Amino acid sequence: MEVILMSSESLAIVGWQAVIEYWPAFMCWIIPMLGAALMPVFAKFGDKFRDILAVVFGAGGAVSTLMMIPWLFSGHTPGDVQVTDWINFFGHPLKMGVLVDPITIFVVNVVACISFLIIVYSTSYMHGDEHLTRFWFFFLFFIGSMLLLVVSDNLIQTMIGWEGVGICSYGLIGYYYRDAKERWLGGPEPTPMFPPSHCGMKAFVVTGIGDVFTLGAMFIIFKFAGTLNYIELIQTAPEWLTEMSHFPGLIAITAIMFLGGPIGKSAQFPLHEWLPEAMAGPTSVSALIHAATMVKAGVYLVARMSPVFYIGTYLLHLPEARIYFMAIAFVGGFTTFLAASQAIVSVELKKILAYSTVSQIGYMMLGLGLSGLTEEAYIAGLTAGIFHLMSHALFKASLFLGAGSVIHGIHSIYTFDMGGLKKHMPKTFWLMILATFSLAGVPPFSGFWSKDAVFIAAMIAGTPLAYTLLALGGISAALTMIYSIRYIWLTFLAPDSQYIQEMEHHGHSPHEAPPVMWGPIAILVAIMLGISLLGLAGQFTEGLNPELFIEHQIEHAIHGIMPHEVEIHVPHVELGLKAQAWTLSAFLLAIGIYSGKNYYWNRKVDEWNIERTGWRAPVYKFLWNRWYMNPIYYKVFVDGFINTGRNLYTNLEKAVFDKITPVLSSFFINLGIGLYNSLETMVLDEGINKGVPSLFTSIYNHIKKLQTGVLSYNIAYMTFIFLVLIIVLMIFGGMI
Amino acid sequence: MVFANTLALVLFVPLIATPFAYYLGKSMGKKTGWIAAAPLVVTLLLLLSVTAETKGGGSYVEHYEWIPTSNINFDLQVDGLNIWVLLTINLLCLFISIYSIPYMEHRFHEWEHETGEDISGSGYANYFSLYLLYSVGMLGTVLATNTIQFYMFYELMLVPSWALINNYGYGERERIGMMYFMWTHVGAVILLAGLLSGYWITGSFAISSLSHVVGHPLAPWIVVAILIGFLTKMAVFGIHVWLPYAHGEAPTPISALLSPAMIGIGTYAAVRLVAIPMNETFSSFSMVFSVWALLTMVYGGLMALAQDDIKRFLAYSSVSQMGYLFLGLASAAVYGEAGAIFHYVSHGFGKCILFSAAGVLIAETGTRSIKKMGGLADKMPITATLTLIGFFAIGGVPPTVGFMSKFMIFSGVFDSALTHSTEQLAVAVVAIIMTVLTVGYSLWTVRRIFFGPLAEGMEHVHEPSLLMLIPMAVFALIAIILGVYPKLVLDYLLPFFSEVASVIQ
Repeated sequence: MEVILMSSESLAIVGWQAVIEYWPAFMCWIIPMLGAALMPVFAKFGDKFRDILAVVFGAGGAVSTLMMIPWLFSGHTPGDVQVTDWINFFGHPLKMGVLVDPITIFVVNVVACISFLIIVYSTSYMHGDEHLTRFWFFFLFFIGSMLLLVVSDNLIQTMIGWEGVGICSYGLIGYYYRDAKERWLGGPEPTPMFPPSHCGMKAFVVTGIGDVFTLGAMFIIFKFAGTLNYIELIQTAPEWLTEMSHFPGLIAITAIMFLGGPIGKSAQFPLHEWLPEAMAGPTSVSALIHAATMVKAGVYLVARMSPVFYIGTYLLHLPEARIYFMAIAFVGGFTTFLAASQAIVSVELKKILAYSTVSQIGYMMLGLGLSGLTEEAYIAGLTAGIFHLMSHALFKASLFLGAGSVIHGIHSIYTFDMGGLKKHMPKTFWLMILATFSLAGVPPFSGFWSKDAVFIAAMIAGTPLAYTLLALGGISAALTMIYSIRYIWLTFLAPDSQYIQEMEHHGHSPHEAPPVMWGPIAILVAIMLGISLLGLAGQFTEGLNPELFIEHQIEHAIHGIMPHEVEIHVPHVELGLKAQAWTLSAFLLAIGIYSGKNYYWNRKVDEWNIERTGWRAPVYKFLWNRWYMNPIYYKVFVDGFINTGRNLYTNLEKAVFDKITPVLSSFFINLGIGLYNSLETMVLDEGINKGVPSLFTSIYNHIKKLQTGVLSYNIAYMTFIFLVLIIVLMIFGGMI
Repeated sequence: MVFANTLALVLFVPLIATPFAYYLGKSMGKKTGWIAAAPLVVTLLLLLSVTAETKGGGSYVEHYEWIPTSNINFDLQVDGLNIWVLLTINLLCLFISIYSIPYMEHRFHEWEHETGEDISGSGYANYFSLYLLYSVGMLGTVLATNTIQFYMFYELMLVPSWALINNYGYGERERIGMMYFMWTHVGAVILLAGLLSGYWITGSFAISSLSHVVGHPLAPWIVVAILIGFLTKMAVFGIHVWLPYAHGEAPTPISALLSPAMIGIGTYAAVRLVAIPMNETFSSFSMVFSVWALLTMVYGGLMALAQDDIKRFLAYSSVSQMGYLFLGLASAAVYGEAGAIFHYVSHGFGKCILFSAAGVLIAETGTRSIKKMGGLADKMPITATLTLIGFFAIGGVPPTVGFMSKFMIFSGVFDSALTHSTEQLAVAVVAIIMTVLTVGYSLWTVRRIFFGPLAEGMEHVHEPSLLMLIPMAVFALIAIILGVYPKLVLDYLLPFFSEVASVIQ
């Protein structure tokens, strides 16, 4: 086995043997993909068999990722494991391989373990659905693609996994492709409703817009770096970034374009509008793909590429490279606020959680953005982003699965159809309460620690931009508390809604979810509580602090892949700074609790009417219409393109191009007839041929008929058109 | 091991089979299709037997004397550039000949229903003998090594395809056939003018000797004349008017060859005859061609959005995809040209699936209007899945081959743009953003045809016969295999281009 020394700690291993030696890094995505491919075969042996095997293949992925954890503790992660030449791009070989470092291991474990639990949940939630084979296919293919995306050691392979999860997301959002009326999302009237197949398409197209920007950035990077392998990109960054800096503005453009894909996939402003509609899929899908895992892909990729721009900013002192961090910090901070504000007025339980997801991912992006604002904030910001990613995955998956239980229980997605469910589904209630504490950032729950990490990162960065975004994030934290109180109140504590009363009247009182469904939620909540308690204990015993553990691991990872000359700063967070952040959090929570409780809890009146009176009416309308972004997008892009197409089709294609052939051919035919009648017949024939014997005349006329055929005129005209074209081209080509 | 005369046999086996298809076809009915398929299997095997020769930049040439007095030979050549073009053409022709069997049966029934006239007796014989000639024309064009031979085969592609549209097409088939013939023929005449001028300058008909034209004052004129011929075939913006009619109204299996296999040959020919030998002259047109290509991409896509007829929709999508091929070509960079050839392969398989699926939908639902379809995924899940794969292949979504080919096209475009000018970078960025348009019109159409509630009167729709499904499934499989393992194509294509690049520099 050939071993290439990359830098002090990270080794590149080349060869097929690596697949066996580092099997977990390969099997974790191969097993689920294999399972997906075999699903149609398993379906032949009966539904039960198929469902069990789906669980087994999901477990295979999870076990593989768990087997990577020992590497984390041994202190020697495999690093870049290259297997074989995949494409040889004119002397730039692109190798197929995996990159296993602590960041990878954190993310794959979150993905695979939550996926496994949700598969178990789905066996009950989706029970009896007639298209389960398709469901399992997409579900397992999603897990495989997502893990491939994360373990890839180069951008192309990542992009393949990236589009793979996109396809699965498309297939699963539009899972109920028959678009039966009860599956539609949106409303209530007069707000438009959208069928699932529309929502799936919307998700794929909107994320696709982001992806093409990233692809464009990849081509620019490839042109200068000659590689797309992450380690090689980082190691050679000093050279190729210097070369790139000779073109003013290019690094800034590349940085912003590169962020396109992550912004789309992670549903950040301005490409966030697809995620609320993504809730049209089955709830277990929303939990896995649109809350816990896929939407984190963007966060992962931003973190993965951050060393390149860090080197640009702090080793090469290129101000343009800093744009990468400033842009994503701004996008993250703004999205946090944007989405939280919309969660407050939403009426569908899953949509509230979807907005909340967008908002929380904003925090992660904010953390990653802050990491590059100053040299000191780098590790702190990365840690905050990754830590919040993990803790959010746990509590948001629990919340979505809980929402699934509720929807399963009452067959409605609207919060105004809920109310008083605490007595009917106590287990779901308590599990969701715990997860909500974490979401709202109540100490000592995990969400508190991870959100706190973002605040601290902002304070470490300490630039004006950082403080501005901290303020925005702070307001959003209060809003988070408010909407948390709102949905808990509306779902579980408010008086029974008319819908529930009618249900009970008909003898169908809402029922608790079966153990197969609440079990996975309980496990997720238990893990979340474990991290919460470790976070608390960590304040007294440093060795137990999950945040410090992640920080050490990330520092280790970054240290291993950076070129030698780059210095990495690990900030020591003073207790004073921590205290400031805690005070801030406590203050914001207090505001959130005070207003939320007053607004929703104490005024036990119809919430829907409060919101639409007085000064609240225009605010409500603005938020309800999603800041008017969604309608404008539809108007400009969807209608814009379709109408442009139709107008051009009528006014250019039909009116001009289609007429070319008939108009010009009839012109030439008429010209021919005219000439024949005047010149040919009158002058030549009548005048010159008068004296010629009739035999010759008749032969001549026969030949003449051939010569006045339509074809030759047409060809003459076309030659004319082409001649014009040639001359125009010559002029533009600079030849004349 | 390579047999003697392999490449000659690739042309002669289907040529010899043509009269058999014609005379036996009169009594064999629809089974004639198998007579058309058999020689194509032979040619496929023959081509596969020489693939090894072309790996890693190699080439394989067969030498035949043709007109010794004028020193014109009938040499045939395969190398890294054309081997996958040939394999694509051959695979498409082979499987579409099988697909034609049930489709033409449907078409002849429909014909009888409309006109009361049963033409199936001579119909199969005519159709399949013309079909074989058409295949020979396409293969010969790609194998040709001198301009006379090239021109001859180039016109041989045109005549049978015109006859097929004229005889078995839909709508105003005679007028449309004429339109198709005239446009491409005039293009071909201008091409001929360019080729002959090349001959007067170099004194040789060999394609490789076109490189001596560079530096001559007439060189730009020759480049433009030859390209106009090929661009007419590719139906780029402004000279695309014939394509939506021809591809829309041709019998569907022929559309499935016209669109993916034939028009793209224009790109191959442009690379072979212009971009490689006359690179220096060609690259000075890079900017104007890039803009033209961008215009074609966007215009074709917008037109596709406005269509209701499924075949015209696909035809406009082909116009748009030819814009991508043109864009790669126009980059005048080796990646871009390699990408254009690679995208020929992707578009070939992808679009062939789509036209085949359109044929299935037409045969099963009896309508071509997308508005009248809906919810068909329930009735034909396999067709729906294959259609989606076809759209992914042309839209460049992994794991299909389209991702890799578009990836290469755009790496060429960006490569060229960053070397040349900021204007070109702007074109590149706009072009890559516009790729979303393809995904947009694709998924929108998939949704309108296959998703939602079942449309009225579609209760009895069902999956087509296996003879129609298997060809589509084979193409989908190839599209995915090549997408996951692009080395199968790139090992031939890239070494060829890296040699070209080293010669140019």
